[in-house]
Amino acid sequence: MMTPGVDLDFRPTVPAFDANAALGRRHDRRVAVDDAAGLLAEMDRAGVERALVYAPHAAAFDSAEGNAGLLEAIGDESRLAPQFVCNPPFDDLDETAAQIEAADARAVRMVPTLHHYPFRSWVVGGWLEWLSARGIPLWLPASYETNWHDGADLDAHAVHETVRQFPDLTVVLCEVHYVQASWAPPLLRSLPNLSIEVSRYVIADGIAQLLGIVGPGRVMFGSRFPEQAIAPQLYHLHRLGLNETDLRAVCGGNLARLLRM
Amino acid sequence: MDTPVIDFHSHAGSWGRYGVDADCDLYLKVMDAAGVDRTCINCIWFGDARRGNDLVMEYVKQAPDRFIGVAFATPHYPEEAVKELERAVHELGMAYVKIYPDYFGRPNDDPAYFPIYEWVDEHEMAVMCHATYPFDPPGTTIEGRFTALSDRFPNMRWVMAHTAGTLDADAAETARVLPNVYMETCSSRTALGATEFNVERAGEDKVLYGSDMALMDARQQIAKVVTADIPRRAKEKILGLNAIRLLRLDGPAKGGAI
Repeated sequence: MMTPGVDLDFRPTVPAFDANAALGRRHDRRVAVDDAAGLLAEMDRAGVERALVYAPHAAAFDSAEGNAGLLEAIGDESRLAPQFVCNPPFDDLDETAAQIEAADARAVRMVPTLHHYPFRSWVVGGWLEWLSARGIPLWLPASYETNWHDGADLDAHAVHETVRQFPDLTVVLCEVHYVQASWAPPLLRSLPNLSIEVSRYVIADGIAQLLGIVGPGRVMFGSRFPEQAIAPQLYHLHRLGLNETDLRAVCGGNLARLLRM
Repeated sequence: MDTPVIDFHSHAGSWGRYGVDADCDLYLKVMDAAGVDRTCINCIWFGDARRGNDLVMEYVKQAPDRFIGVAFATPHYPEEAVKELERAVHELGMAYVKIYPDYFGRPNDDPAYFPIYEWVDEHEMAVMCHATYPFDPPGTTIEGRFTALSDRFPNMRWVMAHTAGTLDADAAETARVLPNVYMETCSSRTALGATEFNVERAGEDKVLYGSDMALMDARQQIAKVVTADIPRRAKEKILGLNAIRLLRLDGPAKGGAI
């Protein structure tokens, strides 16, 4: 039997906007691609038009330095949208807000597992209020691994209790691995303002199940580049049997809408 | 693509811990969507290898033209292991052997495995297992491990599972220098350039596509090969032709005819 279903010449059939890419060097290992030119070349090879990018240095060491470095790395490249990393316990909200607005950054990432703070209103409430008022979505990695950090799970209960207090804020759960499949779908089900980025969600038929739970408006393509290749999850999404409208939404439309781009 | 697509690595049965059900229809749906013709399927969930192997055969019987049964063998019960291999291969027609030393707490070159290997060697079959383990002694190298095993069991073939999650130079070099050692691709990571790295280092004849279904989705796992920056012929080999050669599926059929 021959199956004609493998497309060795795959290109995405809808505009693709990567919701999870990193740009810049890491302190704990050499990554295969660490500059904008390399990222753009890989995006071209995978057929991805745009990418939302954050700086690993901003997550691992210093948000202000990392965010500034990110803007420098992006330069005037319009295909790369900056995402600022914020560390609420130590960053000054007013100062960071001014930097976000000056850079026209349309998304923010917080990494409570790496930065060791409870994702509770008494730590992040002021920040979430500001993000909500400005219509800026927040990315939360389900875990964040480095060579010196164990990559503990995000506190799902804290996310649930906190995010539900900010119904106008869009939160994007990202980098969800199959070991977190026990809590991520129920969390999505219970929080209508929570979306998911699927770069690490490879459990069999898992994305189809997510789509069944939250619909195509809250699921987003992401690559986790350069830790992972860009194209495989995009290929996977094209094999889910989605109609063109839903495929457009998942591969890039939802992200473009969230970022007002 | 007009060559067969064979998934070398998948699992039958439920894994409720991750929400995975024993759902053969879902399996076939995903295989169809991924473009997979046939899947090599094993069950390593049970301490009773016989029970797992029988479960595998339920899948094979439901779709004999789509599934290739793979035997599980465990040294936890040495008095049963070889007897069960005899049954799995000679009665059930299973095509190769899967071991899982992580469950045993000792690596795959531990002598407790040797009775299993002696039988496999005598039957000139293949074994798939991980290449490294958390409990490996310091200084262990993949090449050293499989060189010693190959010297001792010269008629066996080895497939190192999950060797495309990272750029593993030791694994790739092992597959390059040892003619009977192969690399298999499935991983929850999709390291940038891993397929290209393995083809360049080990050669396009030494890499096998696998998915780890039903834990991981065959559509996502096959995409690592499909979208890799390697020649078309290399993709055809990795996606099926190498498995056909390794399992001699173009000869007398095992586990269902191709």
